[in-house]
Amino acid sequence: MKELKILYLYPDILELYGDFGNIQVLQYRLEKRGIRAIIVPYSIGDDAPNFNDYDLVFGGGGADQEQGILAEDLLQYKDNIKQAINNGVFFLLICGSYQLFGKYYKGVEGNIISGLEIFDYYTEALADRKKRCIGNIVIETKLNERKTKIIGFENHGGQTFDVATPFGDVLFGNGNKFGDTQEGFFMDNVIATYLHGPLLSKNPELADYIIKHCLDRKYKDNIILNPLNDEFENKCREQLLSKFLNN
Amino acid sequence: MKNFFILVAMKILHLGLKIAGKNGGNFLGKIAYDWNPNIFRYFKINCPIIAVTATNGKTMTNNAIGHVFKTAEKKVISNTEGNNMETGILSTILKNCTLTGKVKADYLVFEVDEGYVPVIFKDLKLDTLVVLDFFRDQLDRNGEVESLILRINEFLKTYTGNLVLNNDDPNVARLGQANPENHNVYYFSVQKYAYATTNMKEAGEGKFCPFCNTRLEYEYYQYSHVGKFRCPNCNYGNNEIYKLATNVDLKNRTFAIDDITYQIKFNSIYNIYNFVAVVTCSQLYHINTEIIKKALSTFVLNNGRLEEIEIKGIPTIINLAKNPTGANVSLRILNEDEEEKELLFVLNDNLADGHDVSWIWDINFDTLNNVSRIITSGTRAYDIAIRIKTAGYPTNKIESYLNLHDAIERFYQNNVKKYVIANYTSLQPTRSEILKLK
Repeated sequence: MKELKILYLYPDILELYGDFGNIQVLQYRLEKRGIRAIIVPYSIGDDAPNFNDYDLVFGGGGADQEQGILAEDLLQYKDNIKQAINNGVFFLLICGSYQLFGKYYKGVEGNIISGLEIFDYYTEALADRKKRCIGNIVIETKLNERKTKIIGFENHGGQTFDVATPFGDVLFGNGNKFGDTQEGFFMDNVIATYLHGPLLSKNPELADYIIKHCLDRKYKDNIILNPLNDEFENKCREQLLSKFLNN
Repeated sequence: MKNFFILVAMKILHLGLKIAGKNGGNFLGKIAYDWNPNIFRYFKINCPIIAVTATNGKTMTNNAIGHVFKTAEKKVISNTEGNNMETGILSTILKNCTLTGKVKADYLVFEVDEGYVPVIFKDLKLDTLVVLDFFRDQLDRNGEVESLILRINEFLKTYTGNLVLNNDDPNVARLGQANPENHNVYYFSVQKYAYATTNMKEAGEGKFCPFCNTRLEYEYYQYSHVGKFRCPNCNYGNNEIYKLATNVDLKNRTFAIDDITYQIKFNSIYNIYNFVAVVTCSQLYHINTEIIKKALSTFVLNNGRLEEIEIKGIPTIINLAKNPTGANVSLRILNEDEEEKELLFVLNDNLADGHDVSWIWDINFDTLNNVSRIITSGTRAYDIAIRIKTAGYPTNKIESYLNLHDAIERFYQNNVKKYVIANYTSLQPTRSEILKLK
């Protein structure tokens, strides 16, 4: 039986916007195909994980206050994480996790939370605490050279700058900054984005892209995934794309 | 003088609305407040003002407190319809005051939106504040719950009135330390109930101590993050309990406080918390226990908040769920019921609901007990269908209809017991569509 090992970062802290749903969607789509999903949670106080032991690492978004608490904890794994990314372990990072992998996060009061500095982008909070990029969002990205639309919901005060390789072009919503044309960060085996929703729940193609990427690497093969019954997902996409893009 | 004119104008307007057969909601308050935001100062109120705030349970608790006082033959003015922002409270007062701003009542009892406590009671003297719980709720509209709590905490720093707090919610109990000079803080709690768990079963907030950031330790969770907690570092949580509910029996719908058994019409652990708050609050005003017992045994709310009705002989339970905890509490009731049942979940994403529906992923659909079919509807019918399917519920037992009428027609095509969960703007349309079949 094939299996994928998923490291789930800080499930009890980075869990504010339903991002846990991404783990559930991955598990669902793996198990429906007879592939075992081994999900290992890691949080503050747990034994140190070796990121190289996993096929996929996932981190979501959390409350502002709690994010500071865990940034310190995550920094101790900086070298190990860098190594894992270079080794091809897939990283899916949402919102707060996206920000933490950059150079730094500068808070409203000018306080700096150091990031892992793995990527060159950085994030600064807007001076006005109440001003946030909030709303439904649709972006267009390319998965294996195929254009596809990604639907999600963004809710972030932080504005992310200097993103070398964005995840997609914004068709509806804000993106990395207010009124931006680009959203997220995408590099081979790393997708970092502000999209909640949860992201994978309305984008089965993206979920399968990630699953295939991880399986191909692990089993050194070109694996064909069995199609699943995505009737609800397809109807949902059809309904929402027409609602958001036809206005 | 200006205030007098506002009052005259509002009285005339109110009369006009009455003649037109309209209630007006918070319309009067909106106009008066725009005219003079300081108008609250103008009223002459000589009776205690009691306010209830929380994420969930405001309407029920507010109405139950009012019901107890009315049963004790007191004159109560209250925003029973749930208009709980500054304009709603103002409307309620305007409708019930004299032209000189006098309010004649024994008690004013208000449910207040958790964001508006500091705004309204800046100028109105509050006698008792009851705080039930804080949960994540419409994050895209309200922001993170922490900033809301901090605003109330700031208000409480100079408040010296009665403060009735749920000691089992770490986000609420912390408010008791906002003003060390206030000696009128009363904590209530509920003894562990039959379905309490040792691990958190549903999404919650209380993870770290608000005073020292240490991870909180829980002896048990009643629901969400409500339960018996303690900070291992600074001992936060170890408060003296003023009223403790014991012998919680949801099947027979009873609980006891100080060895007196109360019969209620509701069967959820979350209602027990509401009613302990009601008893605590009533006893602070020396309402006789027999009267409280009588009042609670007859109290119901016919507005889709755990409303139990029969439609064509089919038992139906309707409950509002605006946020994960509201939905999780509904599912607890459903799962604690062994009978076969069907579920209708109606999910809208209108402005008042929040456009963000990702909160449905914080609902625990993992182990549904004897649910033979689920129908989803509302503007985000497919989103909720995906959520339920991903939790492992069989896809072929889920039906989705964007059209509410179609959904309800299909829902009542058999005689199986019905549970209905609807979010904010979908509740009343769902309820009236169902009642049409009656």
